[in-house]
Amino acid sequence: MTVRWWREVGLRHAGGLVAVVFAVVPVLYVVSAAFNPLGTVVSTDVIPTQFSLVHFRSLFSDPARPFPRWLLNTVIVCAAVTVVQVLCSALAAYAFSRFRFKGRRGGLLTLLLIQMFPQFLAVIALFTMITELGDAVPALGLNTIAGYSLVLMGGALAQVWLIKGYFDTIPRQLDEAAVVDGASHATVFFKILLPLARPILAVTGLLAFVGVIGEFLLASIFLTDTRSKTLAVGLYGIIESDRSNNLGVFAAGALMTALPVVLLFQYLQRYIVGGLTSGAVKD
Amino acid sequence: MIRILCLGIAVGTAAALTPSLAGGGHYVVLTVAWVVVAVLLVTYGTRRAVTAKYLIPGTLLLVVFTVAPVLATVQMSTTNYGDGTRTTKQETVERILANSVVQAPDSPIFDLTVAGSGDGDFVFLLVDRATGQAYEGNRDGLRELDPPVTAPPGYTILTPKQVNDAAAQLREFAVPTEGGAIRQRGLREAYEGRAMLRYDGNAITDTQTHTRYTVQRQGDREYFVDANGERLSDQSWRAGVGLDNYRKAFTDERILGGFLRIFGWTVAFAAGSVALTFVVGLGLAVMLNDPRVRGQKWYRSVLLLPYAIPGFISILVWSGFFNQEFGLINNLTGLDVDWLGDPVWAKAALLLLNLWLGFPYMFLVATGALQAIPGELKEAATIDGAGGFTAFRRITFPLLLVAVAPILVASFAFNFNNFNVIELLTHGGPFTPDNPDAGATDILISYTVRLAFGAGGAQFGFAAAIATLLFVITGVLAAAQFRATRSLEEVH
Amino acid sequence: MRYRLLALITATALLTTTACSGDKKDETAATTAPSTAPSSAGGPAREDADLVIWTSEAASRAVTPIAQKFGQDNNITVAVQVIAADLAANAITANEAGNGPDILTLPNDFLGGALQNGTVKPLSLAASDLTAYEKSAVASVSRNGQVWALPYGMENLVLYRNTKAVPQAPATVEDLVSTGQAAVKKGTVKRALSLPVGQEGDAYHMHPFFTSAGGSLFGMDASGQYDTTKIGIGTPESIAAAKKIAALGEKGSKVLSRSIDGSNAIAQFTAGNAAYLISGPWALADIRKSKVPYDITPIPPFKGGKPAAPFLGVQAFWMLSNAKNPAFAEEFVTKTMNTPEAMTAMYEQDPRPPVRDDVLAAVSAKDADMGKLAAGAKNATLLPDFPFMAGVWPPLGQAYATIVGGADPTSTMQKTGKTIESAVKAK
Repeated sequence: MTVRWWREVGLRHAGGLVAVVFAVVPVLYVVSAAFNPLGTVVSTDVIPTQFSLVHFRSLFSDPARPFPRWLLNTVIVCAAVTVVQVLCSALAAYAFSRFRFKGRRGGLLTLLLIQMFPQFLAVIALFTMITELGDAVPALGLNTIAGYSLVLMGGALAQVWLIKGYFDTIPRQLDEAAVVDGASHATVFFKILLPLARPILAVTGLLAFVGVIGEFLLASIFLTDTRSKTLAVGLYGIIESDRSNNLGVFAAGALMTALPVVLLFQYLQRYIVGGLTSGAVKD
Repeated sequence: MIRILCLGIAVGTAAALTPSLAGGGHYVVLTVAWVVVAVLLVTYGTRRAVTAKYLIPGTLLLVVFTVAPVLATVQMSTTNYGDGTRTTKQETVERILANSVVQAPDSPIFDLTVAGSGDGDFVFLLVDRATGQAYEGNRDGLRELDPPVTAPPGYTILTPKQVNDAAAQLREFAVPTEGGAIRQRGLREAYEGRAMLRYDGNAITDTQTHTRYTVQRQGDREYFVDANGERLSDQSWRAGVGLDNYRKAFTDERILGGFLRIFGWTVAFAAGSVALTFVVGLGLAVMLNDPRVRGQKWYRSVLLLPYAIPGFISILVWSGFFNQEFGLINNLTGLDVDWLGDPVWAKAALLLLNLWLGFPYMFLVATGALQAIPGELKEAATIDGAGGFTAFRRITFPLLLVAVAPILVASFAFNFNNFNVIELLTHGGPFTPDNPDAGATDILISYTVRLAFGAGGAQFGFAAAIATLLFVITGVLAAAQFRATRSLEEVH
Repeated sequence: MRYRLLALITATALLTTTACSGDKKDETAATTAPSTAPSSAGGPAREDADLVIWTSEAASRAVTPIAQKFGQDNNITVAVQVIAADLAANAITANEAGNGPDILTLPNDFLGGALQNGTVKPLSLAASDLTAYEKSAVASVSRNGQVWALPYGMENLVLYRNTKAVPQAPATVEDLVSTGQAAVKKGTVKRALSLPVGQEGDAYHMHPFFTSAGGSLFGMDASGQYDTTKIGIGTPESIAAAKKIAALGEKGSKVLSRSIDGSNAIAQFTAGNAAYLISGPWALADIRKSKVPYDITPIPPFKGGKPAAPFLGVQAFWMLSNAKNPAFAEEFVTKTMNTPEAMTAMYEQDPRPPVRDDVLAAVSAKDADMGKLAAGAKNATLLPDFPFMAGVWPPLGQAYATIVGGADPTSTMQKTGKTIESAVKAK
């Protein structure tokens, strides 16, 4: 190891390690709390001192906190909303990227403005709406995963801007050539653009997924029945009802929630690195 | 073919729902359902309207579940809807009257069996608990019965479930007596009760004291009030108030005073969060994105953790870290900082947390952008004699900025309305005792939510007005930003 | 083209018929077979259960078995739902939308807001039917000649003492401080007192000290009711009291600290870190589990001061005005819960002093803590239920937190008084 190595590479590692410590310490705390049998605020520290699975066991055995059920609900909501959001956004992004039509610019701007309005502020109106919908079609009312998903699907066009940006970087010649070969607009979209846009679809999918899995404000209003709750509102209820005692159970639930997301992120890492910006720079 | 099937399903679903929707009087839902179907048919039934085919699915969802509630919110901003005004006037009167029924003193208690005719008429079969005497009671009055007690012809005895399900009709049913009326209590008991209030269409009168309560306006709402100005009940009713809520927003000093300061902090918070996360993320990306650095993938995997953990979990965990005496931060660093009690430190705490939450994302984005910048450009710059840093500043950085500009703007917009992090970490505090509505770390949305649901009880009408104003502000800001970053260029 | 149209019509027709037949099945089920309610065993508790109860997590453990038995006895489905946040506000909104529960449990201070919104309906029992209940508990949920809820448990603050650290109960706050600090010096504990203050303050937990030091929230009229025209905050008495609190704060004897808040106050005691804890019956289960040797006494007054008056809260069952199942709700509240057995069961799962005198006597005989908790209520004043309290608690709490942190008691109390005055006047 030469001095030069230290100056040019070692320092980079040093910086990286500082960032790693910063990133990891809070996560370690959660891990430590999850495995600490006492599970209180006072007894928990960053470095795990004791090891017990009692909190994980209680997650799967307490009927007042049906964790597996919450997990299932969350998976359903996340999957449904993510798929709908990415698909609708991709469809619209295709129109905005490839077609020239009246109101295109206005439409894009309007989309942006509406997206910036926090849906939460319209919560009273939403509540009334879902109540009415539930009276008419009980499967879509309050305390239903379907009704709650519908509300979140109001943000179906949230990813249009990002996907459109990516579509813009895919050379038009590709689809023009296909059209010459007799392909319909649908074929161009599904068979040519979508496969090419896989990185951005993965990224926007992740963004949507992360947004949905952490949503608890609306969930706490729309999902009050224990069995209809999502992880977010369920876990929030656990920690909110008794912050000092339920830290352990909460942390165990948090770990179980975060684990699949972390794995998904690791799997899709290469897309995130490339997906958001590669096209824009190439332009 | 798939298209046909989907359209068929849509039409079929709507058609299938129609009878029950129409029967249940859900005309709004019914209309919306058919309008949606009609739009789908027009768009996908023909070969034309190609653009619309791609825009319609998302737009429909957006219109129904975002635009419509927003419009309803705007409409709500012209009413006094809130605590005390949630009901219509008719409902208010009904509840006040119903709640005035009291059990007559020393009146008998009966064992009750309810019998129904099946078409909404009932008979009470009653046994006086004290005397054991049996009665049959209907809308006309009481009649003594001899045992065995059976339901009169045409009536069948209702099960508990049936009694419960007939609650709406039974509410109207009472057996008149001299002292009042015999009413149901639960499933199996009846008592003699008396309504203490009467309504004549204009005023409510107390049947005992003969006090008249007439409708009078107090503040932004009307109440039933006696001659001395005493309210019969705090319950008022919903009414339109025109632009009063907006007038209040622009004239109330308490609101105005906090507003400008909060607006400033909102912008600073959003901009600061973006700047911090971007600088740290970019710095890390530059540091680690070097072919000589081994284990880049490993770094990325670990640095990703904060972003991958659902935000509300991290924020709740972090909120404990900032405790002055027991918090992890002061304990690990040996500091004694009053993180959440001091206005400046509280802001710092928020930015620190937001940095933790956001830098991994920026790190990945910046790494991607760096990797995408063609190597020839950098080489060219170096050959031209530019040093490492100059090359970065003159060539790499501007290119990178262009690439990430939309992401920075999106991040700004997100943080501008980042209710979660404020609410879960500082609740907007620290507050001062003279203004419990506007805390030092409040941003516009947390402030709005507090005005809506906080100190004054729920003031939905007023909150809707503030939300509408917030919408306008956010929109103007967003439009201005996009103009500034010129990322709209492509649109032209 | 014709083929397409045909396919469309066929698909439509098919769906319509299948869906319609499904519809009819539902209808018949609803009208002809009310007694064959969906079995409560195994099936998910739906929000359209025949009886829906909203409650807190602690109370749910007590209510659930009772409600399930009620469901079996009446052959109906029962859903007990734990509401994570803002039970009161959510219930008011949901009730208005026709989607609320049939019953909920909340303390007596729900009454004001519930009446303002017409959310609850009276018990249809006269006060004379509730003679078995503690008078003050019934009074706390009575208004305009009606009883609006069935009370089941009392809660008020008491002083928990780690008897290993401090064997003798303190007679005054000064005693408390000196014995607590002596224990800290000896090394038995790390701090004298754990009383939640937090960054936003906690007016409820500070009230006993405040009243003992001569402060008051509102004046009292001749009949012992709050007189809200006489606001006690900002008066010279309140400033004197605030100074005594400041002396206990971070710039004084450091007995009070903003670092102690609702999330760690009880844990400080159960971990053996604190000599004293000021808390209510909800802390009891944790303390018993922790094996810290403890005793319960009323909160002591300042030397030469007035009695320390905690707030008296009364937990109760409320019936909602828009309940979908009013008959079952009424039966459950006025019959099933209104029994010594049910009240005893509530105590067993969620220990706090019962409000039925017979149950309290029976329970106190076996469990000395219940009598000690109840004794702590001797000087208590009723938790006020005015809707405008939502605008009083936050500034008052904040004032205490600021004062504990070392701010000037005089100006803080004066400013807070003005804030509270405008909140009270606004309604």
